[in-house]
Order: sequence, then structure tokens, then C-alpha cells
Amino acid sequence: MIESIILSGTAMGCIYALIAVTYNVMFSASRVFSFTAGTLGMLGGVLGALFIARMGMPVALGFIVVLAGGAALGLVTEIVAVRPVLKSLDQHLYVLSTLALALMVQQFTAIEWSTEPQPFPRLFGLARVDFDQQFWLPMLACAVVIVGLELLYRHTLIGHAFLAIAEDNYAARALGLPERGLRMTSYALAGVIGALAGFAGGEMMLAFFANAPLLTFYGFVPVSLGGMGNNRGAVVAGLLLGLFQQTANFLVGGIFASVAVFAVFIIVLLARPDGLVGAAQQRRV
Amino acid sequence: MSMTRRQVLASGAAAIAGSMARPATAAKEPILIGYLPALTGPSSSTGVGINRGIQLAVQEINAAGGIDGRQIELITRDTQSDPTKAVNGAAELTRGQKVSVVFGPVNSGESLAVVPLLARTNTPQVHPCWVDSLTDPKKYPMCFRNAPTNQQIGGAANGYVVDVLKHKKVAVISDTTGYGTASVNAYVPMLKAKGADVVYQGNVDAANPDLKPELLRMRSAGAEAIMPWSVNAGFLSRIINTRGQMEWDVPIVGQTTLGSGQTQALLEKPDYWAKVYPNNFRPVCYAADGKLTDRTSAFLDRLKSARIEMSDTLLWWIAVGYDSPRMIAEAMKAVGTEAEQIVGYLNKLKEFPGVYGDISFAPDQHNGYPDQEVVMVEANSLKDGAFKLAPGYGA
Amino acid sequence: MDTQATPEATELRAVRTTGQGTPGALGAVLPFLVLLAVGVAFPLFGGGYWGVIATRACVYWVLVSGLNLVVGFAGQIAIGWVALLTLGAYATSVLAAGNVMPALPPYLALVCAALVGAVFGLIVGLPALRLRTFYFAITTLGFATIVTQVALAWQSVTGGGIGVPGPVFPEPFASQWGFYYFCLGLAAVCTWMTANIAASRFGRALTAIRDAEVAAEASGIAKPALLAIVFLFSGAVAAVAGGLFAALQSYITPDAFTFDLSVLFFIAILIGGRSSVLGPLLGTILLTVLPEFAAPLVAWSTFLYAALLLVIVLAIPGGIAELLDFRNRRPLESGRAIVPQPRLVARLLDAAPATGALTLDQLGLSFGGVRAIDGLDLEIRPGQVHGLIGPNGSGKTTTLNVISGYYAPQRGAVRLEGAALPPLARHLRAHMRIARTFQTPRIVGSASVLQNVMIGGTIHGHGTFVESLLSLPRHWRDEAMLRETAMLALAAVGLERLAPVRADRLQHAELRFIEIARALMLRPAFLLLDEPAAGLSAEEIVRLSTLLLAIARAGVGVLLVEHHPDLIFDICHHVTVLNLGRKLAAGTPAEIRSHREVVNAYLGG
Repeated sequence: MIESIILSGTAMGCIYALIAVTYNVMFSASRVFSFTAGTLGMLGGVLGALFIARMGMPVALGFIVVLAGGAALGLVTEIVAVRPVLKSLDQHLYVLSTLALALMVQQFTAIEWSTEPQPFPRLFGLARVDFDQQFWLPMLACAVVIVGLELLYRHTLIGHAFLAIAEDNYAARALGLPERGLRMTSYALAGVIGALAGFAGGEMMLAFFANAPLLTFYGFVPVSLGGMGNNRGAVVAGLLLGLFQQTANFLVGGIFASVAVFAVFIIVLLARPDGLVGAAQQRRV
Repeated sequence: MSMTRRQVLASGAAAIAGSMARPATAAKEPILIGYLPALTGPSSSTGVGINRGIQLAVQEINAAGGIDGRQIELITRDTQSDPTKAVNGAAELTRGQKVSVVFGPVNSGESLAVVPLLARTNTPQVHPCWVDSLTDPKKYPMCFRNAPTNQQIGGAANGYVVDVLKHKKVAVISDTTGYGTASVNAYVPMLKAKGADVVYQGNVDAANPDLKPELLRMRSAGAEAIMPWSVNAGFLSRIINTRGQMEWDVPIVGQTTLGSGQTQALLEKPDYWAKVYPNNFRPVCYAADGKLTDRTSAFLDRLKSARIEMSDTLLWWIAVGYDSPRMIAEAMKAVGTEAEQIVGYLNKLKEFPGVYGDISFAPDQHNGYPDQEVVMVEANSLKDGAFKLAPGYGA
Repeated sequence: MDTQATPEATELRAVRTTGQGTPGALGAVLPFLVLLAVGVAFPLFGGGYWGVIATRACVYWVLVSGLNLVVGFAGQIAIGWVALLTLGAYATSVLAAGNVMPALPPYLALVCAALVGAVFGLIVGLPALRLRTFYFAITTLGFATIVTQVALAWQSVTGGGIGVPGPVFPEPFASQWGFYYFCLGLAAVCTWMTANIAASRFGRALTAIRDAEVAAEASGIAKPALLAIVFLFSGAVAAVAGGLFAALQSYITPDAFTFDLSVLFFIAILIGGRSSVLGPLLGTILLTVLPEFAAPLVAWSTFLYAALLLVIVLAIPGGIAELLDFRNRRPLESGRAIVPQPRLVARLLDAAPATGALTLDQLGLSFGGVRAIDGLDLEIRPGQVHGLIGPNGSGKTTTLNVISGYYAPQRGAVRLEGAALPPLARHLRAHMRIARTFQTPRIVGSASVLQNVMIGGTIHGHGTFVESLLSLPRHWRDEAMLRETAMLALAAVGLERLAPVRADRLQHAELRFIEIARALMLRPAFLLLDEPAAGLSAEEIVRLSTLLLAIARAGVGVLLVEHHPDLIFDICHHVTVLNLGRKLAAGTPAEIRSHREVVNAYLGG
């Protein structure tokens, strides 16, 4: 029992952490939280099952196409739901526009793909073992993304540009950084990360349209607890969330587990609205 | 003949216009039978199977001249496995379309809402749902069930686990639908009354992708048999798959859908289907000598010649779908289409010869299926749509 | 009312008869009456099936009317409100069926459900006070999931997956049309109540919180109390809708309360348009009826709602209400001039001036290592204009923000007539008759000019929320008083002809004067102005000086933070010059103009 809890808790935690990173990358580029983060995760699983299981593509090719699909949705989010409302004085419109876009994608998937969870293909044709691929795939994906982002931010020019935009938007533009291009690239990157999360987690979560609202919520919990835009905090919080949730699942069953997670989330958030790590004050007047 | 919803609404609009004073039925007007299947959604296995049978039967009846020269028009409203839509559909069928009889819903959760509603509109209803409370000759005098009750089903399944397989520690699991919840609530006391020890009892969301936590809890509680109650093929296949992945050698004894072609298609490995014993019905199963009854063989031939697909569903669903309109048509042929007349006829029905069972009603007994015909079968003995009886199963 | 033929009286009468600033009474009510008439007559032409749809629309509107105050007016993104529908449905059904205690009559069960809904509306809504927008939206989604899970798990009460039968209302509401009229009646009552709130100081205060929160605080509007009341009301009404829903369904199970329903409610409001009652009403009817016209639409209904929402957000953020706002399509006259009327200023500011000064006593505030204000002494005397000037970043606006309570000073204090002001209680400043304007005008764009100004006087109303809800006499007295005062304030600043115009159509200069009119509604003892002349033409600056001098003559102590030296030297009685947070110089305009250091640091040759 304990091994199962640790394995599935860590694996789910990595999936949640990756979705949290997706939120954060979008947030860093635009100061906007997008409801499409969870939908990207869902599409990673659904598109993976569609291309590999149903259409018979080889796993490697299917994987690349899925990531491309994620990048595409990321770009669409930026162009359709975020850019038009960034200029508006009413900043809260982005909540509505990204919600609308996410809902459209979810409903389309439900109707065209299936309302029921569909099997996700086994990516590597190995026998089932205790530490099975369904567990280490998400962990591997999470590690790759974290390391990759660190390298990107520290050692590449474009990574520095991302950090600049996130840190101080005006100064970055004053320096001549192409804000729009960088934002689009950020959203495409976020799309890739989200799709990767869903693809790597497909064997655990199956290809199911209702994964979207699930990941939207559980992927946001690490963001709010770890601090907006803080990837390291998100990963730690994501792993803790996954372990807590699976412990509750194994000990008391699914219904009480989700009540428990939610109760803890809301209590922590009410106590520390800026997350356990906190964020900067902004001048309002 | 069935109508699409669009046609239903179009004719509904016309009916609305003239609905205030309904004209006297002309001789050649079609007879309207309302039909509330779940053709889509998580609990659609049953509805899809039944639908094939009912369409065939109505075609045959109409081709043979209908009922006294009047054709049967089947007005379909897909409930989408949603009790809310079932209520909407039932309201439209009775108030808008003014159907003579309603067949369905086919899922208990939807029927729980629809049965009281149809009673209020004085519409005769025949349904194949299992939950016990869905018939009550006093409260719902116009509602008849031409399928077994949960008591009958549970009796057979629980008897097989406790008396035949001789297992005392049982895990009972269902999904969170009305049917699943009602089943667990009914079967756990029945098991305890037989002296069994229910070591695990749970309702799990059918869409839950990972059932390993539940099966691990069952195993650590010492369960010797798993009894799942759900019509959701995905959910059931995941239970079977998880048992196989865990290499846990316990029998799975439970809902008939465990043996459906849909469930089979979702299994990771064909040998996972071993030691799975769903319930089924003797008339559509292979007897000890390996043969089917004449009536059933003839029915299979008819299905084959009508090119009706069987491999992804269950034969008895198609059969109950086939039997139901024939039973209703027989009633209407005898006494006409007035509600009280139909109810009076059904109240005296003795052994209507259905493919999947002989149905009998009485004024104080609206559950029409005979007890002794409920049996347990072996899932992986499926051949040409029928199963062999489960090992050790007595006559 | 003054009936003598004095010049003021003539002016005032002229003011009252032209452009009152509120829609004609009949024009506003007519659409509702038409809808009600259609509703009442519906059984004559609609069949049984459409009767079910119409009843459903009424039930949904009962919920949406309350949610409209939360989402449309207060701007809180409460997406998961289906949680309250679920609670109300189960509460009514369980109490009427007698699962937990002896069965109650259905009407009483409905009332009890409303109380349960009120409490939970508060619980679900209160995080809005602590959390950012997106976070709050996510928590409401979480609540909706939790309520469904609890309904599934608590089998002994809710029946779990099996569900419970809904309540059956006794005759004459048991039949289909009887029940329809019951729901129609409740929908009409909810429309009336929420329209009353919309046209009250509470409705305006909600829009102020949504669009101009700092201005709302400066006007004395206490966000927590107001939101709490709105959540209570909205929760209660949603629970009543739940009970009706359960009766309509005749049987409820947890899976009847889908996320799709939440989306429907939420989107109906946004399609209808914020700050409107008619818009969301039409939106609800539209979204309920639309999927019934074609079978494929039912399956795609949520997709369509979402697509509609996206289109609305991107193209017509004001929704249906904006499309129906014909009055605001009429072109405004060009070449408008703002002509303040000093005599009306005196009439308006008839309250007694303060007895003492507003003083800053060795004020100190640092942000990290930066000393924004460093030992500042300042005295604003009643009846005088005190100018505060200095280069950018010298701490002028920060000082103003400390006085109005946005920052707490780390050293020293702000004193009013000797007593120190509570440091961060910004919404109490209005009660102390300290009013202010802002560097960028904070206006509710979608409201009319008159409504914007009336917001300034919110705290002078006496009627309670319930009195406004039920349209009781004190509500009308408050409205009449506020409208009269606001028209007077607008006339005083010279904008009375623009009273009915939607504020976001106005020019920048006009917005600044509107802010002043709003501030004057408080009949302040002290008025703090943050760069009111920025963006004004020379002519308008002259008019502004006239206005400010008139305000000072009426006994108000004015603090004027400004960059325009002419304005400062023309009207100020005293001037303080700040540099890097410190007082560089202080004295009369003449002294300051020739002060060597000031000239070097700021004024130039």
C-alpha cells in the first residue's frame, strides 16, 4: 500500500506540477492566468490516444505531433483570448475569455472524441512492473521540464528575455525587447509543457475530456500555494498535493479525498492569500 | 418506425397548435409508443443493445399489418444517461406527444425520476430496470417491469458467491449512479443475511481512471470475491484490468455488463476475462448439453438475417428490446389503446412468451420475470452471443 | 423647495427640468411589463412541452437575478454558483420528504432552504474579499465539486446516487400550469427586487466596487459589508431556485447539477451585460430556449454558450444591454464647455466648516530603502487652498495617499482637529468629511454621469438594503435626496447637461470635473485634489480655479497637489514645496515664487 501511495502520489504530483508550470509560464509572459492550462493537459492525453492508438502513428511521431498541437493551442490562447483583452482597462476580462476558449475546446473534445474515458496506449511495450512506466513517465517529464527551464532562463538569450519581461514589463520594452513575439513564444512553450504533462500522464489519467476541469483546479493549487510565477514553489507544492491526495484516496476513498484536498486548499489560501511564498505589493493609487 | 428528435419537435409544434381539443382517433392513425432509451452517455450499453431489438420488433409488427391496420410509431427521446433529460423527455412524450404507452427508461437512475411523473399523467409504462422500488402496484398502478428485480439478481449472484464458490469475505463496489448505489444498498444486507462478511463497500465515480487504490483496499481487507454493480463498460473493464495487473486471483461476480462485448473490447489482455461471472438469463444461455432453446435459436437466426450486430453488446438486451413492443402490441390488439384497458390486460398477463423469458403479471405483482431464470454465466465462454452457465452452477 | 424668483431658484428649476439623468420611468419598466404579459399569456399559445421550458427559464432566472448582483454588478467571478442550486434543491426536498426530521410543508421547506442558501452564499462568497479574481473563480469551482461529492456521500440524508424526490407543491400549484404561474410569480418578484437594488445606492456602490474600487473606498463604501449582504441575498434566492428546480424535475440526483448549468448561469449574465437587469433576463431566456430549437444544438449547447461568451468579451463587452442602450447612441453636442457656477457651490456646501485644521505632524514613510516622505509638517486650514508642489517623485501623491489612508505612516501622524486619524481606514475618511480626487479619474464607465456623482453621497443614505429591496419609502427619500444633491453638484461644476450620458463617452476634462462633483457630494470639510489640472486646456484651468476658489470660500480646506505653477500661484493661500520627500520651502505664493532653492530645483529661471 505505501509503495502504491508514494508511486502514484509522486506521479500525479508531477503532472500537477507541470500544469502549474504551464500556468506560471503564461503568467510570466502576460500577468494573466489562463483557464486553458488544464485543457492543454487534457489534450495531451486525448491527442496522444487519437494519434497513436486510433490512427496508428508510431509513438515518437505521435509524441511530436501532440506537442505541436499543444503549442498551437498555446498560440491560439494568446492570439484569441489574451492579446485582445490585455489592452482593455478591465483586466478581469481575461478570466472570461480564457474560460470561454477552454470550455469550447473541452466541449468539442467531449462531443467529437467521447464523453467516456478512453484507453491511452502503452508507450513502451514493456511488461508491467511495480515501478511501471505510468509512474516514471510523468516524473521524467517533470524533471526534464524543470531542468530545461532552468537552462533556458540561465543560459540562453531568449531565456533572459523571458525573465526580463516577467520582471519589469516596461523596462524590457524600453530596452527594445519584442514584447509580442516573446509573449507568443512563451505561450507556445507553455502549450508544449501542458501537452507534455497530459501525454506523460496519459497512462495514469486515460484520455478523458473531463480531465480538463480536473487539471485546471488541481494544477492551480500548486500555483496559488507556491506563489504566482514561482516554478520551484509550484513543483514542491505539486508533489505535496499529489502525495496528500493519493494518501487520502487510498485510505478513505475518492469522495472524501477531493473534499479533503479542497478544504485544505481553501483554508491555506484564506490564511495566506498570496500563497505560502508571497508576492510583491503593487501600488494601486 | 422511429423519428429523429427534429421530426419529433416539428410534429410537436403541429401538435401544440391543435392540442387543446384532441380529435377522436381516426381508424388509420398510427399508434404512438414513447421510448426513452439512453443511447449516449456513460450508461448507454443497455440502451444501445435494447434499441436493436426494439427497432427489429416494431419493423416486424408493422410489416405484418400493425395493430388492426394501424402502424406503430416509436417516438424516441435519448435520455443521454441523464435523469434530468429523462424527465424532460418523459414530459414531452406525455404532455406534448400524448403517447399511449411509454417503454423505458432503461436505466434505474433515470426511472427513479420518470416513474412518478408518468404516474401523474396516467400513462401506462413498461420498463426493464432492476432497482426494487421501481414498481409498486399501489403507488404506481400503471407501471410494469418486464425484467428481474435487484432482489432476484442479487439472490442469484450472492448465492453463487456464498453457496457455490463458498467465499465468505466479499467486496461490493458500484459506481455513483442511482442504479449502482441502490444495488449496493440492497445487496450488502442480503449478503450479511446469508452469513457473509462484507469487508469492503464502496461507490466510486465511474470515470475514475485509477481503481488500484480501491482494489488494494479490498485486498488488504481480505476480500475473496469482488462484486461490481455498474452498467458502465469502462468502469467494469478497469476493475478487471486492475485485478489482472495486480495478479490477484479472485473471482469477479456481478453485473451482466461484465460479459458484454463492449467490456471485452476494453480489456488489456483477453485472459483477464477468466474467472468473471456476470449474471444472465437461462433462456438465452447454452444449457448443460451445449444447446440453445428452439425459440432462442430461431431468434438468433432472425438477428443474423437482419444483420444485427451482437458482438459488442449482450444478447439478452436485444431480446428484451425485441420482446417489449410485442407484449405491448399484444395488449393493444386485445383491448385497444385506452390506458385503463391496457393496464387491465397486463394485470392478467400469464406467461407471455418472450425470447429472454416468459412474463407474467398480477394486480398485486408488477414484476414480471420468473425467479428461477436468473443465472450466472462464465464471461469468456461467449460464442455467437450466448454464454455457458458458470461452473458449479446447479440446475 | 424654493419658490421665490431668485436667480438661484431659476437656475435650479432649469436644471431640474432638463436632462434629469435617469431614464424615463415608463421607458425603463416597459420591457419588463411586456415580458410579464407574454409570460402570463403563455399557456394560451404554448403547449405542455414549451410550458416545461418556460417554467425552467423562470426557475433559472430566479437564481440568475440574484447572481447578477454578484457577477454583473459587483464583478465577482463566481463561476460555481450551481453549488447553491444543489444545496437549495436538496434542502427543500429533504425537508419536504422528511428524511431528517418530520416532513415540513413545501413552502416552509422552501423558506428554510432560502436560509441555508443565504448562509452558504456567504461562505462561498466571502473568499472574494481576500482573494484575487482568478483565485476566487477557482475556489467557487471547487465548492461546486464539493457540494456534489457531499450529496453523493451523505446517503442517509440525500440518498446518494439514488437521489430524493422533489417537493410537490399543493394545489393550485401542483398542476403544470399552476406550477408555472408560481415560478413566474417568483421570477417577477425577483426581477422587481433586483431592479430596485440596481437603482439604489447599493447597486451603484456595487458597480463602484467593481470598476473604481479606490473611488468607492474614498466615498466611504465598505466593501465587506456590502458584498456580505449581496452574497446572503444571492445565496437565498439561488436556494429558492433550487427548490423550484427540484419540484420541476420531480426527482433530483447529484448528476443533475452539472458544471454546464453553472456555465449557463454565468454566461447568461455576461451576455446580458453588466449593470443591467433586463440584459441578463433576456440572456437567461435566450440560453434556456436556444438549445430546444434543434436536436443537435442540445448536445452542443455548452459549446455555443462558450463561443457566445468569447464573442461578447471580444466584441461587445457590454452585452445585450449595450445593444439595447439606444439613448447612449445619440451623438453628444460638440464644443461643449464646462461652466462652473460658484453660487451653486455655496448652496451645495452648506454644512458647517471644520473647527480645526488637518495637519501633518512630522510625517515619515519609507519604501524599502527609499524615504518617500521624510519629516513633513503641513497644515490645511478650513477655507484656504494649500498647494503642494515639487518635482516628480518628490512624494506629493504619496503624501496625499497617506492622508486618505492608503499607506500608514511609519513616523508621525495625520491629525484632524488635533486627533490622529486611524492609519489605514481609508473608507472611514468619507465619514470624517475628507474627500479626494485621483490622478487618473476613477469612474464607472458604464454608468451615467449622474449615477457616478450619486455614488459620492452613498454614505448619506439612511435606508437599509432590505428597504431598497422592497422599495419602501425611505429608499425613495434617499434616492430623491441623492439625485437632487447630485444634480446640484453637477450644476455647480458646470456639467448638468451631461447628467444622463454614459460616463465613458465623456472627455478627459469632463471626467475630472465629475470627480470633483462626486467629492463634493460628501459636503467635505477637507478636499484633497491629485493633479486635477492635468490634461486640461488653459480655458478649463481658469474655470477650475474659479471652482476651487468657490469651494474654499464655502469653508472647505483644500489640498491641491499640482504641476501647473500658474494654477498654484493664482489660487493658493499657502504653498509647500517638496523635494525628495522633504519640505524644501513653505509660505505664500509670492515667497515661494522667488525662493532661490525652489527656483533651482523645480521652477526654473
